[in-house]
Amino acid sequence: MRAKYVLSEVLVGLWRNVTMTIAMIVTMAVSLAMLGASLLLYFQVSDMEEYYYTKLEVSIFFDKDATQAQMDAIGAEVDADPLIAEWDFETKDEAYKRFQEMFKEAPDLVNAAQPESLPASYRVKPVDPDNSQALIEKYKGKEAVANVVDQRKVLEKIFEIFGGMQKLALVIAIVQGLAALLLVANTIQVAAFSKRREVAIMKLVGASNWFVQAPFVLEAVFAGIIGAILAYLTLIGVKIFIIDGTFKSLFQSTVLTPIPWSNVHLMFPILAGIAGVVSAVTGWVTLRFQIKV
Amino acid sequence: MTKKYARASRPSIEDINVSIDKGEFVFFIGPTGAGKSTIIKLLLREETPNKGKIWVNDKEVVGMRSWRVPAFRRSLGCVFQDFRLLPTRTAAENVAFALEVIGKSKAVARRVVPEVLELVGLGGKEHRYPHELSGGEQQRVAIARAFVNRPLVLLADEPTGNLDPDTSVEIMRLLDRINRTGTTIVMVTHDSNIVNQMRRRVIEMEGGHVVRDQSRGVYG
Repeated sequence: MRAKYVLSEVLVGLWRNVTMTIAMIVTMAVSLAMLGASLLLYFQVSDMEEYYYTKLEVSIFFDKDATQAQMDAIGAEVDADPLIAEWDFETKDEAYKRFQEMFKEAPDLVNAAQPESLPASYRVKPVDPDNSQALIEKYKGKEAVANVVDQRKVLEKIFEIFGGMQKLALVIAIVQGLAALLLVANTIQVAAFSKRREVAIMKLVGASNWFVQAPFVLEAVFAGIIGAILAYLTLIGVKIFIIDGTFKSLFQSTVLTPIPWSNVHLMFPILAGIAGVVSAVTGWVTLRFQIKV
Repeated sequence: MTKKYARASRPSIEDINVSIDKGEFVFFIGPTGAGKSTIIKLLLREETPNKGKIWVNDKEVVGMRSWRVPAFRRSLGCVFQDFRLLPTRTAAENVAFALEVIGKSKAVARRVVPEVLELVGLGGKEHRYPHELSGGEQQRVAIARAFVNRPLVLLADEPTGNLDPDTSVEIMRLLDRINRTGTTIVMVTHDSNIVNQMRRRVIEMEGGHVVRDQSRGVYG
């Protein structure tokens, strides 16, 4: 009976102030969706880091006219190097084959390239991927070596973009979140004001503080959870229509690891939990310090 | 005991010392601004004094933890000049509300509410809304609500202030009956007729001081 009383109070309260309620829920939903996107990007970046950093290679490219003897000399050095875990030699022909394979959809490009124009290289895997710089320094200036390229550098550019997107989403989430909190506080003030008679009588006859405040706090929590549901649906929509739709090819290529459904689903309990707790605390603080219900 | 409001130049109540026995019927009288209503607020612990102590039902109220206040208030009943009924609820629902919000079950409400409404003389009008009732009847609902938890003390702040003389007399009869069940009644009023008719203890206040305390007294 008490649960029923409280629930009906919550619904009536939200309905009485329906424009405000909608504003509150929409703001919360946007904030939470941004927070969810930010978290997904964060997971994505750490997934990708894990995926790629185990495969990272440093390529030592030779000059086009490097002699076999010069390359062998470097090869001996590579083989003996304690910084290098594994190595692989790629001849000009192998490099050309790989090039053909990689760009088979662009035959003009393949036709324009000659096997001789692609350099031979050593593909080496550092013992410690974080310390590839030492390898680069060591081999860069050597005779017949044209260039030393760390794949990590290329990936870091991508990660920087992701990190930037993640931060942007987080900033939007925080700003919208603040707006949502102010709306929650305002909605509760309005609700408490419109129910001040009931509240005064409740206090007079000795209703516990919990009983007086619960409907207001639950109103905020309820709106927060609805906001979280909307945010979750938004993320699902983005996953279906944008990530698996418009940008499908990008995510199916080897460049980006896919965003798994499990991560998207994980967002719901996280967002609902955050929304519920934050709304409840805001509601409670509002009641306690602003209107003394 | 002294109560001083933050912005007031002088205390609303200053150095008063009054003791009221269980089962007594006491009038606080005096001109507006004498501090009568402050007494009710202090007894309800809506306000706390700046100095001094207050005992109600053997409980010290001033130092009471705020979370104990709701339980304390359940031992009090309270009636006001403006009735303070919920306009969207019927007479019976208004009374039941007081039970509901302190966690009593519906079954208890169904049993107790008609009983109390009968007692205050509203039998048959349970399902009327406040606007369908006269002032006197509304005050009866308020009294029923105050009395439904069988409080030890009933506080009444000018309960007849909005009522005509005849209705006021009826309300006083009702309060008198409640008093006879052993409930202490503390009533603030400046209705001289009522005070003179009832011949109960009268405490007169002026400028925050008690100027007269007389058993079986009359209005000034």
